[in-house]
Amino acid sequence: MENYDTVVIGGGVIGTSVAYYLSKKGVKVALVERGDITSGTSGRCDGNVGIADKQPGLDTKMAYNSQLLFKELFEEIPYNFDYTQRGAIYIIESEEELSVAEEYVKKQVEDGYPMRMMDKSEIHDDEPYLAEDIVGGVEIGCDLSLNPMALAFGLSLEAKRNGAVVFDYTSVTGIRLDKKGIVEAVETDKGVLTAKDVVNCAGVWAPHIGKMVGLDIPIKPRQGQLLVAEKTFPVGKRKIMEFGYMMAKFGDENYKRNVRPELENLGIAFVFEPTLSNNFLIGSSRAFVGFDTNVSVEVMQGLAERAIRFFPVMKDIHVIRAYAGLRPYVEDHMPIISKVDEVPGFYIAAGHEGDGIGLSPLTGKLISQMITGEETILPIDTLSINRFKK
Amino acid sequence: MNKKDDNIIICRCEEVTLGEIKQAIREGARDVTGIKRRTRAGMGLCQGRTCEKLVQQIIKEELGKKVEEIGTSTFRPPVRPVTFGTLGGK
Repeated sequence: MENYDTVVIGGGVIGTSVAYYLSKKGVKVALVERGDITSGTSGRCDGNVGIADKQPGLDTKMAYNSQLLFKELFEEIPYNFDYTQRGAIYIIESEEELSVAEEYVKKQVEDGYPMRMMDKSEIHDDEPYLAEDIVGGVEIGCDLSLNPMALAFGLSLEAKRNGAVVFDYTSVTGIRLDKKGIVEAVETDKGVLTAKDVVNCAGVWAPHIGKMVGLDIPIKPRQGQLLVAEKTFPVGKRKIMEFGYMMAKFGDENYKRNVRPELENLGIAFVFEPTLSNNFLIGSSRAFVGFDTNVSVEVMQGLAERAIRFFPVMKDIHVIRAYAGLRPYVEDHMPIISKVDEVPGFYIAAGHEGDGIGLSPLTGKLISQMITGEETILPIDTLSINRFKK
Repeated sequence: MNKKDDNIIICRCEEVTLGEIKQAIREGARDVTGIKRRTRAGMGLCQGRTCEKLVQQIIKEELGKKVEEIGTSTFRPPVRPVTFGTLGGK
């Protein structure tokens, strides 16, 4: 039996960030991960840290605050996680999209975020390989990108330096409560770890951990596939997304893109992410297929078709790999960052869907503040698990 | 392979050295995928066809593990590079 203050379950970007921020405050932390660090969703995604794809209001505010924390992390952690701030742009296909985009940008600028419209000549001067018919764009100046796996490794190594103990290749088998129903210990296949607080950072597997304390956590795996291109010339300067991406992400019923119904059904929307390794990633897709991480040729074809539509020059560039990850989907598209009233000492930090990398520092910071009883840097009431109570 | 050879390149596509692979093992990598995620060895154009056996050998020597425990990386389509044009039907 080993004694800790807090046991963090899950070694993705969320769990390693929670472990990092807690250990920094002097909390005695154990991080338990079933496989290697970043062997789940954080190793099968892209590295976008954006406010671009967020809804105006709290969603954007959280993402922006997390970007500010990333700038601190970049200074604090002596590990290269390929961090760059190149900004992002939305590309706009039609006059109809243009008017929706103008409305969206107006709202975000009123809230103080660095966004602006780009007209047709400016966007083509700036991104010369873009398809000729693109009518305009939105520039988001503050967006960052990084290597998410390196981020999780850096956070876990730094947490270790702060005294945290990482139990990798260790499975949680149960959570022990005392007679009053308060968290007492975490049982694993390698032994028992006592702790007064437990944080469930298990992402798509968070419901499995929740069941151990009789809790129903409404997170479902939603598969997303990506294509990896060979190293090549800089096709685009920064993260580039089709404006329809927002529509696909939030399922806007009022808007229909001019695409084949098959692409719409596969949830395909163009996302281009150049990496510091001089290659690029192409996304995105969304599907509920359980815990299946196999890629499908149909989705790969759809992703390639959409990529060529926006960047015809890509037709001669090679795809070297495709992969799929499982995003922890929550119905209202907001993460669950919450204590659990029914089980004192049990916390949840999961359900970030495609925003987990971007929101990882903020999530770690908020949970560490909740556990140490400090005031949180943002209000967290709306992120509570209680919002699902009927 | 001794210490002074740490600069030799193991993964040619991504230019990953023996020293970097040993460092990844010290930082917790236990299998081929763990090395790949930490160093990019095997992430390039050849997708590990050239370096994977070397990486397995290094892990075997450093950790005293059997090849079965070290595993291979996950093979994903396309098995050989294919252009966006061929894939996307253009």
